Amino acid sequence: MQKTRRRELLLLGALLLTGLILLAVVLLNRQRGAQVRVMIDGASQAVFSLDEDRTYPITTPEGTNLLEIRGGRVSITQADCPDGLCVKQGAVRYVGDSIICLPHKLVIEVTGEDDMALDAVSK
Amino acid sequence: MRRFLCLMMALLLLCGCAEQTKRDPEAEERSERYVSAMDTVMTLTAFGSHREEALNAAYEEILRLDALLSTGQEDSQISRLNREETLTLEGDTRALVEQALELYRETEGAFDITVYPLMQLWGFPTKEFHHPSQQELDAVLRSVGSDQMTFDDASGKLTLAPGQSVDLGGIGKGYASARVMEIFREAGVTSGMVSLGGNVQCLGTRPDGNPWRIGIQDPAGQDGEITAVVEVTDQAVITSGGYERFFTDPDTGEVFIHILDPRTGYPAENGLTSVSIVSSDGALADGLSTSLYIMGLDGASDFWRAHSDQFQAILIDDTGTLYVTEGLAEQVTSEKNIQIIPLSE
Repeated sequence: MQKTRRRELLLLGALLLTGLILLAVVLLNRQRGAQVRVMIDGASQAVFSLDEDRTYPITTPEGTNLLEIRGGRVSITQADCPDGLCVKQGAVRYVGDSIICLPHKLVIEVTGEDDMALDAVSK
Repeated sequence: MRRFLCLMMALLLLCGCAEQTKRDPEAEERSERYVSAMDTVMTLTAFGSHREEALNAAYEEILRLDALLSTGQEDSQISRLNREETLTLEGDTRALVEQALELYRETEGAFDITVYPLMQLWGFPTKEFHHPSQQELDAVLRSVGSDQMTFDDASGKLTLAPGQSVDLGGIGKGYASARVMEIFREAGVTSGMVSLGGNVQCLGTRPDGNPWRIGIQDPAGQDGEITAVVEVTDQAVITSGGYERFFTDPDTGEVFIHILDPRTGYPAENGLTSVSIVSSDGALADGLSTSLYIMGLDGASDFWRAHSDQFQAILIDDTGTLYVTEGLAEQVTSEKNIQIIPLSE
């Protein structure tokens, strides 16, 4: 009886450990972003490379935000939205990260290189 | 406890199984084929386990169409038509001529397959450029115009007016790319793409399920820079621009582009520098890209409003402004400001 219980506990422990390792792998393997995509009200407006430092004023129908790319990270440094949450979200850099300004219906999304690569050029 | 563990194990197993749906194991495998035909280099790309047979069949089809339509091959149907001035058309040639005549009517003559003698007068096919006098132009213009040909619907017999010659180059590549998509589909390919010298058509989506991302070349760029990106599924993206082919008059410094207005005989100068058509009909997209270029921004916008169920467009004018028709608004991205052309004025 006790032997089975111990075995069960060991198995449970092993399962938990596997879960933790998987979580760590996912967190540590976060891919550095290559580009940021600016979307207003669901529509894609612009795409910038994370490799080039720049600032870019975004004008939405609801107000303006200042986007800044510096050292491979993107942030909103100024905004005239009522809550200012987009500025407080700070800088992000990994694929899948995003900065959202709800009052302006603005989404800044970090994407990987492959995702944004062109399949062909029409000329 | 034991039951809990069993449940956990079952869940873990299920997680593993969820990944193993009935996917093509080679869905992401890619093959390419390069073909030199129709005066350009074509790139065919197909994904999945049927890709090789699809590419082989598409390759054969392109050579067959080229042999049928080329003005450069003596025994092509088009060469025979131009030599004998009358020919009973069938199959692909007939389908293309019929679509070309419809485009001629719809565009009020901006699209015209009888424009070839004008191209020759300006020297574009041979690259021996010549700025013709108005007299020379008038002489050639007399025989330009698809309305001067007679096409018999019942028999498929096409008869040219004296001095006329036909070139399906303005629509043929788009037709070929559409045929390649059909062949891919028949072979069981669900993800593929073809670029016929910059005329792009896509089948389905990328293998990862996302839309294809097609760059639009910057007409003002020196090294093939991109000015916008359009995301498409199952559509052709075909661009015409004055930057593709042009010459400069050595005496006056004037620049003449290869897109001629069949009605004036002169290079189109209506303020546009690039027109891209997005449509599920490759031949239509091919024909309309030059026609809308000739129409200019206002004419092109009006034409789109009357045919918005058939295509969408991306237009760039000589100030570099980017215009996108409303139906494409969410599929185009650019670092530039995008002006939307609304459906209702």
